[in-house]
Amino acid sequence: MSAFYNTFERHSHGEGLKGHSTHYCPGCGHGLAHKFLAESIDELGIQDRTIAISPVGCSVFLYYYMDVGNSQAAHGRAPAVAIGHKMANPNSIVVSYQGDGDLASIGLAEIISAAQMGLPISVIFVNNAIYGMTGGQMAPTTLKGMKTMTSPYGRNENMGSPLKMAELIAQMDSPIYVERVALFDSKQRIRAKKAIKKALQIQVENKGFSFVEVLAECPTHLHLSPSDAQDWVKNSMLPVFPLGVKKDVEPTHIFSFEKPSFESAKLLSLIGATAEDVPKFADTFPKHIDPLDISLKLAGSGGDGAQTAALLITRTAINEGFDSTHIPSYGPESRGGTSYADVHIAEMEVLSPSAPDPHILIAFNQPSMDKFAPKVRENGIIIGDSTVIHTMPAIDPTVKIVMVPMSAIATELGKIMVKNVVALGALQAATGLFPEQSFLTAIQQGLKDKKELFPLNVEAFHRGMEAALKSEKI
Amino acid sequence: MPNSRENLLPAVDPAYCKGCARCIDACLHNCIEMGNEINPLTGLTPVILHLEDCTHCGLCVTACPEPYGLHMDSITDDYSAVRPETFDGVVKTRPKAASIPSTKIPIDPGKPILIKGTYASSIGAVLAGCRHFYGYPITPSTEGAELMAKLLPNLDGIFIQAVSEVAAINMLYGTGGAGLPCMTFTSSPGFSLMLEGISYMIGSEVPSVIVNIMRGGPGLGNIAPEQSDLKLVCHGLGHGNTQCVVLAPATPQEMLDLTMLAFDLTFKYRNPVIIIGDGYLGQITGKVSLPDYMIQPGLPDWAVYGDAGHRGNLIASIDITEPDLEARNIRLNHKYDTMIKAEQRSDSFFCEDAEILLVAMNTPAQMAKGAVQQLRSEGVKVGLFRPITAWPFPVDALAKLIPQIRQIVVVEASNGQLEDEIRLSLSKAGVTQLPPISFVRRFGGILPQTHEIVEKIHALEGVVA
Repeated sequence: MSAFYNTFERHSHGEGLKGHSTHYCPGCGHGLAHKFLAESIDELGIQDRTIAISPVGCSVFLYYYMDVGNSQAAHGRAPAVAIGHKMANPNSIVVSYQGDGDLASIGLAEIISAAQMGLPISVIFVNNAIYGMTGGQMAPTTLKGMKTMTSPYGRNENMGSPLKMAELIAQMDSPIYVERVALFDSKQRIRAKKAIKKALQIQVENKGFSFVEVLAECPTHLHLSPSDAQDWVKNSMLPVFPLGVKKDVEPTHIFSFEKPSFESAKLLSLIGATAEDVPKFADTFPKHIDPLDISLKLAGSGGDGAQTAALLITRTAINEGFDSTHIPSYGPESRGGTSYADVHIAEMEVLSPSAPDPHILIAFNQPSMDKFAPKVRENGIIIGDSTVIHTMPAIDPTVKIVMVPMSAIATELGKIMVKNVVALGALQAATGLFPEQSFLTAIQQGLKDKKELFPLNVEAFHRGMEAALKSEKI
Repeated sequence: MPNSRENLLPAVDPAYCKGCARCIDACLHNCIEMGNEINPLTGLTPVILHLEDCTHCGLCVTACPEPYGLHMDSITDDYSAVRPETFDGVVKTRPKAASIPSTKIPIDPGKPILIKGTYASSIGAVLAGCRHFYGYPITPSTEGAELMAKLLPNLDGIFIQAVSEVAAINMLYGTGGAGLPCMTFTSSPGFSLMLEGISYMIGSEVPSVIVNIMRGGPGLGNIAPEQSDLKLVCHGLGHGNTQCVVLAPATPQEMLDLTMLAFDLTFKYRNPVIIIGDGYLGQITGKVSLPDYMIQPGLPDWAVYGDAGHRGNLIASIDITEPDLEARNIRLNHKYDTMIKAEQRSDSFFCEDAEILLVAMNTPAQMAKGAVQQLRSEGVKVGLFRPITAWPFPVDALAKLIPQIRQIVVVEASNGQLEDEIRLSLSKAGVTQLPPISFVRRFGGILPQTHEIVEKIHALEGVVA
């Protein structure tokens, strides 16, 4: 009994002899590895749960034969595909069956990361020291001096050395079982079968990642008879790829996965959706600034709180029932350099979200003032931190300037971080964009779990308002 | 099995023996020898069994690489007459899984929330039933992945940061192949790496949603917005005859809405769906209203899920014989044709009486809207045509407008890739009388601004500002 199909319908539509024989050359090791896998699946009673991943190589047609779920993957990507399947259904038993070109060359990143990730999947790695499907080219496991189609004079020093995958995988932390087996005689075959079954058993028990390297014969591309190919593996491969258990440890934990939740209340609470009504305080859109669309730019150093203040303005506008957007400058600039944010507020819909010529500029430092003040449009308003800004660039004569010692006030209040709230207070008093209560409501919302900081923020806001009313130009 | 069973003897049908002789080496009693007659059916020379000294050890069977080669069979039967069909006895019939449809769960959408474009897309994904995310960090798309990393563990979902975009897309291939909704966020250089996997997904008909927040290129380029992956998503989704529905949101609200639509379409067509945003759209924070439902996904009958009902299923893009692969291509092409007919989406802004037509997508479309508003206030008859599906290009709607248009101005953050889509799709639609097409193009991370568009229109012949 085994997990093979009764008829290989996928092999040339099951016609003629192909319905019951493999596509492999006489003496190929793949057939044996398939057989041991099929027997193990049957013996463990996991045929319904098993998913076999067959990537590119001679074993790409594994799905012709194995009566399980089958997924055929791109060259080298089988471990990633295996993880995708395992995570979709942790109850499935996922086997990644890969050749040496697939696993040890093009798919190195996938196998190494999957092994160290340690998720419970089983990898069967068939190493025959050569590329079979493409016709006998050099593999990463090709022996030194070995002649192949792409090392016609023998693998020399410039072509590196054979890669010992079992040893490589075994030295990592996460895999729990790694063994190298062979197929060249009855004893090795019995061991190979046992190892493959054990690799699956470990997955059945949710213990973790298992890896079996199978030294296999490729008589065709070794240009040897099947019998001589067996001898070649024994005599030539074994000294380079010693057999045996490379790692066999008890797992530190047993994997278990919950079924995904589709509980709507939980989801809505996670994404911050709220059915609560937010009070409105503004009677109309602040048409005194612009009838349709108001743009603001907030600029400072990273850490000045320009982005937070911008978001608070956006939140205030949305609470009042208008449309609003905030777009930050980001990237290296947001890591300590100039940080600026563009905000739009529209009665109906924000169209262009950037603010190249804002109605209102809030500048937290001198470079920001120098850079953006000249761009503020006619009859606009500039609000600056007079603690740190001492000179003004040339600006449109109709622009109103309101200087407020934001840093000094915040320092006085004992928390420099509230500098941006001082700025918001100044903005409110200087522009009448929205009523005081609108801003304070948004600030309260923004504080979320840190409600105890609200009184300090209210004070900072009020100090900003007062300072703006007393403001004098530089 | 190497069990000694007195009533069993090795047997082989010569047609299923390839004559590899592994069994000869394995037998301790010299019961097997190489034959000397070529089998006319196989052209190979099968072994011959002499079982007088057989100890029923079965080592020869263990040595045979063929599933239906050497096997232990009843001693009373004539081994040469054994056919593989009899090995397993009666063919077992298992009930095939039926497709479980997804269910809509009503929710109270509450008040609009204030979120970033990428976050809106993540939230759209979890509302659409996605509980599996695989990705690799890349600016300016990473916030979407970060939100998924925060949300999914709380929903007993899976978030995996893969070793590369190549691995991430193949994890999607696995989960999508298992029939579950899954997604990734990436940005242009990462999207390039995913193309191989996308081609495999299309070939194997695996659903999944891929959000590409396009940034400046070529090469490493920069992390600022561009729209220069348009040719890739419309005409270069890896090798082979590949197409996907490509959605192009313009606002955070659309990032949510179109992500939900993407999950619907990806299962409807068993084909990946791509969402293209620009770096600006990824970063912009705006007002987003939630829908009044969420989705609990079902499980399609074709899934390779790893249970009894789905056991016989296969996810694969390989057809080794030419007629089979041609048939697959014809089937895929038929699907693409259906998408072209059913999935064209677009938005028109002041197009009814427009004589000058702006065409733009993503954030540049918002810039263009600003320009339309300003120009209309000056009395210029200008409108905006905004493709929401980059592929299929909404040519039916555009073609209807063409007779009234005397000038098309394409606004884009690329070197004419949108213009190429317009020209190609109109040409294919048989619209040969085109008005002059001019453009406002910026690249390198700079988006066309409203004032540039206005200036362009002012400079057109016959426009009086």
